[in-house]
Amino acid sequence: MRIPKTIGFPRMMKEAGELRVFLPEFIQFLTSLGLTVFIEEGYGSRSGFTFDDYHQANTSVCMCSREEAFQQDLVLVLRSPLLEEYQLLSKDSCLITMLHYPTRPKRVELLKSMGHRSISLDSIENDYGIRLVENMKAVAWNGLEAAFDSLEKCWPGLVRPDGEPIEVLILGTGMVGKHAIEAATKLGNIERNNQHIKDKGPGSLALSVGRSITDNAETMEKLFRKTDVLVDATQRRNASRPVISNDWLGWLPEHAVIVDLAVDPYTLTTDPIVVRGIEGIPQGNLNKYVFHPNDPDWDTHVPAEIPSKNKRTTVTCYSWPGIHPEACMRHYAQQLTPLMEVLAEKGYDDLSMQGGYFERALYRATLKCWLESRHSVRKPR
Amino acid sequence: MAGIRIGLPQMYKEPGEKRDFLPAFVSLLSHQGAELFLEYGYGSELGYTEGDYLRAAPAINFVAHKEAFRKDYVLVLRCPYENELRLMHPGSCLISMLHYPTRPQRVALLRSLQLEGISLDSLKDDSGRRLVENLRSVAWNGINAAFQTLMKLYPDPGLDSPQRPPIKVTLLGAGAVGMNVVQAAVRYGNDKLRKRFVEAGVSGVQVTVVDYDVTPLDNYMIDLLKRTDILVDATQRIDPSLPVIPNHWIQYMPQHAVLLDLSVDPYQCKVKPFYVKGIEGIPQGNLDQYIFAPDDPAFDAIPECIPTEHRRWSVSCYSWPGVTPKECMEVYGRQIRPVISTLIDKGGIQNISPEGRFFERAIARAQLSRWSETGEFRVPGNSDLKR
Repeated sequence: MRIPKTIGFPRMMKEAGELRVFLPEFIQFLTSLGLTVFIEEGYGSRSGFTFDDYHQANTSVCMCSREEAFQQDLVLVLRSPLLEEYQLLSKDSCLITMLHYPTRPKRVELLKSMGHRSISLDSIENDYGIRLVENMKAVAWNGLEAAFDSLEKCWPGLVRPDGEPIEVLILGTGMVGKHAIEAATKLGNIERNNQHIKDKGPGSLALSVGRSITDNAETMEKLFRKTDVLVDATQRRNASRPVISNDWLGWLPEHAVIVDLAVDPYTLTTDPIVVRGIEGIPQGNLNKYVFHPNDPDWDTHVPAEIPSKNKRTTVTCYSWPGIHPEACMRHYAQQLTPLMEVLAEKGYDDLSMQGGYFERALYRATLKCWLESRHSVRKPR
Repeated sequence: MAGIRIGLPQMYKEPGEKRDFLPAFVSLLSHQGAELFLEYGYGSELGYTEGDYLRAAPAINFVAHKEAFRKDYVLVLRCPYENELRLMHPGSCLISMLHYPTRPQRVALLRSLQLEGISLDSLKDDSGRRLVENLRSVAWNGINAAFQTLMKLYPDPGLDSPQRPPIKVTLLGAGAVGMNVVQAAVRYGNDKLRKRFVEAGVSGVQVTVVDYDVTPLDNYMIDLLKRTDILVDATQRIDPSLPVIPNHWIQYMPQHAVLLDLSVDPYQCKVKPFYVKGIEGIPQGNLDQYIFAPDDPAFDAIPECIPTEHRRWSVSCYSWPGVTPKECMEVYGRQIRPVISTLIDKGGIQNISPEGRFFERAIARAQLSRWSETGEFRVPGNSDLKR
């Protein structure tokens, strides 16, 4: 593949709640780069979009089958297709998706063995390691919004019985944690917060602690006993140990809501094992992201070996940005715009670290760069 | 593509202002084809010699202060003084932190001199995110200074004692600066110090973040202040005449408490209602002095319309990133490089299109000639991806 001429958009075949599709304005933008766009029949229909919405009388936008969508020079799909669908790619195609190279070795091996080109959206980083395609803000805001929605059912207007501000305890001060702080102080939703202020509500405050506090049971017990919302935004160095043991959850008030913004699953078949940051909570998805303590699904989502005696209402989702699909995809389109400009001009094979700002970022996300970097200490900056 | 001529004058601000662009940045621009004119002594406050710059970029020139201003482009971090701006040729372009929205007199002056501007603080991506900023350094340098001060004041058993309780930081404001403050505060603004404390089993830091819907709750806030070791103002107030923390609330804080000002809002007694800092009655610092004891004469220099009766040690600086000048200029250099590269590639500002590529669009949003006082830029809407 040299300069790409076509781009395909297959549908994402995920849970029914996964409604994200690239929006018509982004498709039209791609045609302005000289690309002919092939959209799988039915693309976007679950979100109410028709082919006409995408087509807009533009002859560079075509409807096609799923197989044809995978056969184009570039294939863009947000979440990775199933492994068995990789064979649908033509030998010259470049798959652009969230591939998560570091944690998905099977995908990498398959792509490599089939000789495919790929660009992992989560690996597109600028010269100082900042991801250029991410939506961590939506992770935090959507998670907190769901938590306050749940809390509001027991406290109408989000007013505590004692009239004091709601207390949100946030574990982790990385990028997601930073957004969680802002979301927590604004009740997870600006409109609700503005109404709350107008109604002279007491508001909420965020308490943030780092590792040197989370290791201290005595301090954590004091904090937990007055926590209304507990947020896990940690990035653990050791995923085989929880940050919060299930015993500690017993300190939380019965009304407390746990917000799970981390995505580590329970994987007990690997060595070392991987457990969730807060022990004993389930992992949700876009179909179901609220679990009440008496939810019969709880035990089917948590392995029997994991202690889960102490339960509080938990909001958890593997794909928090997908809660508001259109806003999410508008955001991704903005981030992808300058990258697609470069990719349409240079193509995959000519990307290099000697190019401009966005070309270097794209290069870092290519399969070839990832495979090279595995033999060195760091990816090129 | 013919190179563009860029002057890099030194800043003559307070003596503590040491920032100049680093040799590595100058080298990249020079090798890309820009003709560069550095003022004699450029970078000397950071310990660099002319030889350091020449080794990195042999084609650069050294010129007098005035000459550096007489180029097609002038790149300088903080906006020059009026007499310096008057050295520039009509039609030339100033690339600097110009702060159009809050500096109407500056905008008027630049226009009257027929200068083009690219305001570094107005360079934004398609979603409105600033491309040139160092909010991380604002937070980390401010928090570091606050903890260094607290270290001297903290009562027995001392800040470094495993017997002391967790340090309580209260943060006003949950915006972009505030988010960095939390990360800095739980690490004492200093990773080495944190490592030492963790190894010694010293308790960590709890940061309580309150936004504008909680700060008006008098009783709650006073109770919170009584338990606060470091109070941080990272607010962006809509109404600068209303303090977040009135001076009389400070009396409830522990004697060892430290007040940290990251918002650097000014006092203004010549307008009514008066403009006041978020924490009422603390002095405004700069790179020469940013730590103030309660008996520091700086408190007495605060305008008389502002009450200062209740005082604690205060930490305030107009240019927090300048406290670590080399690190700061490394960050700015990385952020500004693609912007200048785009100017070079396009052959100058006159060829920048608001409908061009990513960095062209960003430059267009930051151009003085496209800035209007209503705050709207005369470029296509951000949501319009079609071209």
